[in-house]
Amino acid sequence: MPPIPTRAITIAGFAVAVVAMIVLEILARRPGSRIPTVGQWLGYLMRPKIGRALVLAGWWWLGWHYFAR
Amino acid sequence: MATNPAPARSDQPGRWWQVARPRRPAHLALLALIFAGLAVYAWVVAAAAPFSRGALVGVVIPGAVVGLVASVRPPERIPPPAELDMIGMSYWVICLAVFFEWEASAWRDSSWPWHPSFTNLIDPLLGPHLVKTGAILVWLLAGWALVRR
Repeated sequence: MPPIPTRAITIAGFAVAVVAMIVLEILARRPGSRIPTVGQWLGYLMRPKIGRALVLAGWWWLGWHYFAR
Repeated sequence: MATNPAPARSDQPGRWWQVARPRRPAHLALLALIFAGLAVYAWVVAAAAPFSRGALVGVVIPGAVVGLVASVRPPERIPPPAELDMIGMSYWVICLAVFFEWEASAWRDSSWPWHPSFTNLIDPLLGPHLVKTGAILVWLLAGWALVRR
């Protein structure tokens, strides 16, 4: 069996993490789920003003990182 | 449990497909107009070359608008949950920790193409103009969704 290249392992790692988060969001939207949705935990983090500022700054940074450079 | 004392109608897990609030035709037309405007904006920004002034201005303007709206005149906000279930939240923390650890190790190794970072993988996908336009549009809508939180 040929060795699995490091690149494939790295991509698989990212894929696992992203798929796991999508599955979590789907599970969170089931009635009576104990898992919060992304919107719920982001809303919880954004209750204090500093949390709100940091989350919005993170959103802006993502736009700058992927679309401006 | 992820409790929410007075959840908005569009924020009830398990009932998210019921976008139940009745909307008047004029309201729908306004929403369609705003969406079209955002799509055109995303199309224009996606055409700007990376590291150009146009690309920078294209992300600075939405950031300034969102920041201004959030601080000066925030819209009606969706009430956040009073508390989060720690076990339920721990699943998210584990996933996010794995993701960022993986990203940090790729960034530390800096050995493209053997150990690419998430950005290394996403950048080529954003190459086609239409895909980049869609991604910018999603980013803009996410910004508005955050303002409402």
